[in-house]
Amino acid sequence: MTHSRLTARRLALTLFAVFAIVGVFVVKLVDIQVVRAGELTAAAEARRSTSLTVWGSRGEIVDANGTVLADSVDRFDITASPRNVGDSTEMTLDGERVVVPTTEAIAKIAEITGTPAADLFAALTEDPESDFSYLVQAVTLETFTAVFDLDIGWVYSELRPSRTYPSGAIAGNLVGFLGTDGALAGTELQEDSCLEATSGTSTFERSADGVRLPGSLIVVEEPTDGGTVHLTIDADLQWFAQQQLAQQGTAVGADWGTAFVVRVATGEIVVAADWPSIDPNDLNSVSADNSGARSFTAPFEPGSIMKPVAFAALLDRGLIAPETQLTVPGNYTNGLPSGENITDVFAHGDLRWTATGILMNSSNIGTVMLSERLNPEQKYDAFRAFGFGEPTEAGFLGEDGGTVYPADQTRADTVTLATQMFGQGITATSAQMASLYQTLGNGGVRMPLTLVAGCEQADGTWTDVPVPTGERVVSEYAADTTLLMMETVANAGGLRNVISVPGYRIAAKTGTGEVAENGQYGSERIVSLAGVFPADSPEYAIVVTFGKPDTMKSSAAAAPVFNAIMEQVIKTFRVTPSTEAAPNLPLTW
Amino acid sequence: MSALPLASPRPARSPAPRRHLEAAPTRAYRRARPRVLSAVVTIAGIGAILLAQLLLSIVLAEGAYTIAGLQTEQRDLLRQEQALTEQLEVLSSTQNLTANAEHLGMVASGNPVFLDLSTGAVSGDPTPAGGSLTGSSGNQIGNALLAGSTLVDPAADDRTAGSPENSAAGGGSGAQASSTPGTIPSPTTR
Repeated sequence: MTHSRLTARRLALTLFAVFAIVGVFVVKLVDIQVVRAGELTAAAEARRSTSLTVWGSRGEIVDANGTVLADSVDRFDITASPRNVGDSTEMTLDGERVVVPTTEAIAKIAEITGTPAADLFAALTEDPESDFSYLVQAVTLETFTAVFDLDIGWVYSELRPSRTYPSGAIAGNLVGFLGTDGALAGTELQEDSCLEATSGTSTFERSADGVRLPGSLIVVEEPTDGGTVHLTIDADLQWFAQQQLAQQGTAVGADWGTAFVVRVATGEIVVAADWPSIDPNDLNSVSADNSGARSFTAPFEPGSIMKPVAFAALLDRGLIAPETQLTVPGNYTNGLPSGENITDVFAHGDLRWTATGILMNSSNIGTVMLSERLNPEQKYDAFRAFGFGEPTEAGFLGEDGGTVYPADQTRADTVTLATQMFGQGITATSAQMASLYQTLGNGGVRMPLTLVAGCEQADGTWTDVPVPTGERVVSEYAADTTLLMMETVANAGGLRNVISVPGYRIAAKTGTGEVAENGQYGSERIVSLAGVFPADSPEYAIVVTFGKPDTMKSSAAAAPVFNAIMEQVIKTFRVTPSTEAAPNLPLTW
Repeated sequence: MSALPLASPRPARSPAPRRHLEAAPTRAYRRARPRVLSAVVTIAGIGAILLAQLLLSIVLAEGAYTIAGLQTEQRDLLRQEQALTEQLEVLSSTQNLTANAEHLGMVASGNPVFLDLSTGAVSGDPTPAGGSLTGSSGNQIGNALLAGSTLVDPAADDRTAGSPENSAAGGGSGAQASSTPGTIPSPTTR
């Protein structure tokens, strides 16, 4: 009996032990499989899987014809692991192993990349324990391939998406450039949201040799490429305008020059040239002052090319006609503080000019006298309606709106009240001047200037397409009559031989603005020639300006460039000649 | 019950009906023969499955390497395409085209003349082509990417045009050179 009882107890004990052990296992199992399942799976996944960054490429900037002005390219940083640097073995073609000494490897890399071997050596020895060091940065695919064909064990690489500007300084002022951490200037920065790409990742499990394990989970976040920014400019014409500015600007010793060509019907900017203009490939190509687009960002006192505002406003209100007769004295003090006077560019006695004659001869006195028919508010409103005093709709980065003094200020400052009518005491950018001539050429309807035609997303859809809605500034009669009066400048003015293109009627206006420095008008001038052609059916407005020329301080400096650009526009866009002859408006009476 | 005649014969128990009550053959007995077959089938099946699985994983692994290889190739080709596009864009830049055009002796076109098809009227003031687009001072608009690039050598172009394969294909300069003066050279449509 005692024997069997012992057996039973032993059995019970064993069973208990077995159940206890099984129990422990179950608890552990539940812990691993249920409680910590997520955490452990993730940890396991992380050990086996790798995550790669997939780069999306930044969008292009192209001109109206699709010529690429800015593009993204692959560059490669060649890196090394100094810790692993050592002589490597290489298989010869015969299958023999030869030892390639480190110095020889460095010499080879130096030869391919054109980097001094000493620099490479320094990069490797600076911190011998480090696992990472840049050898050569941003090399092309060709160089990269050549270096990797050397098959050196301690050399690695990194992809570095970079930017290139195939057209160089053509429209460099408009395109802008990137810094190391992103867009810095111009359209690159202004349209960054369109151009920007988002990089994706691809995660998968991989074997020791880097090949994806079949059936392993891939998590892919697709990269999205940036959109393409379409500019309205024509790169070839832009080059031509820049080239002309550079040649003439150098010849007359100007500090800078700008040129605009605007399609009058739509307000599209075909050319917005700056000289000097930066080559975005080489940020040291021009000084910092010249690295932007002066044409949009630097307002100046434009001088007489502003006069058409006064004439158009007067015509619009029926206050003058082209034949309005006026006796213009050689000196004018009416309404000015004592000691102040207004003169014309050439000395004269009393002259009997028509309104047209006043515009043709660019008489400051005549313009001021006629403008007295407008009150200060009407003058201010006229300038504002033509878009002065605020940046144009082109929306260029850092665009300036210039200065128009409001009526309550000019009422007290009668000098500015008078001089603003001939473009002194008021400032405007070249873009705003181009907008003025666009309005006059478009029958008095001001179309917003456009520089960016839209953003073409990677999937082909277009966004940010401007919807130009014109705004009537003056009546069609006023705009067209102003052009007729301006035609006398091209037909009878002193620069007629330089400006004219046979067969084409041209409405033009000269301008020589005085430059105020430290509150004083000195001898420096800003000279311009602005116009619209063909005058009978306007298609393009052109404004050419030179800043501070040394040898030729009048609009004669800008005239040859105006003429050359006009001829090139005729050739490029096949502008047909005028069909009717210009009327002969009387200049004197 | 006792009144029943004893003489009435009981039906004789024949051996035949007894067979009906014979003990059923045991399961083992019944399956004795099929068991061998099923074992073979099972083992063969397992073998086949294992083999298939092995082959499948071999194929999959091979596929993975093919995919990895093709992906690398695709990446390299994309990079190559991009590098070539980059070169093309630089070569088609206005500065390069102008420089080469002038180097080859091309001149700027004259004023255009227009023919109105509806009226037959000719408008415009023709001027002969001539002069340089860049003027005497050469191109002023820099392009750092063109540094070190060389201009097209017309002599070299003539040499290649003169080689048999190129003249057969009707290369541009070759075709123009052979056209008689006074006729408009027309490209060979292919």
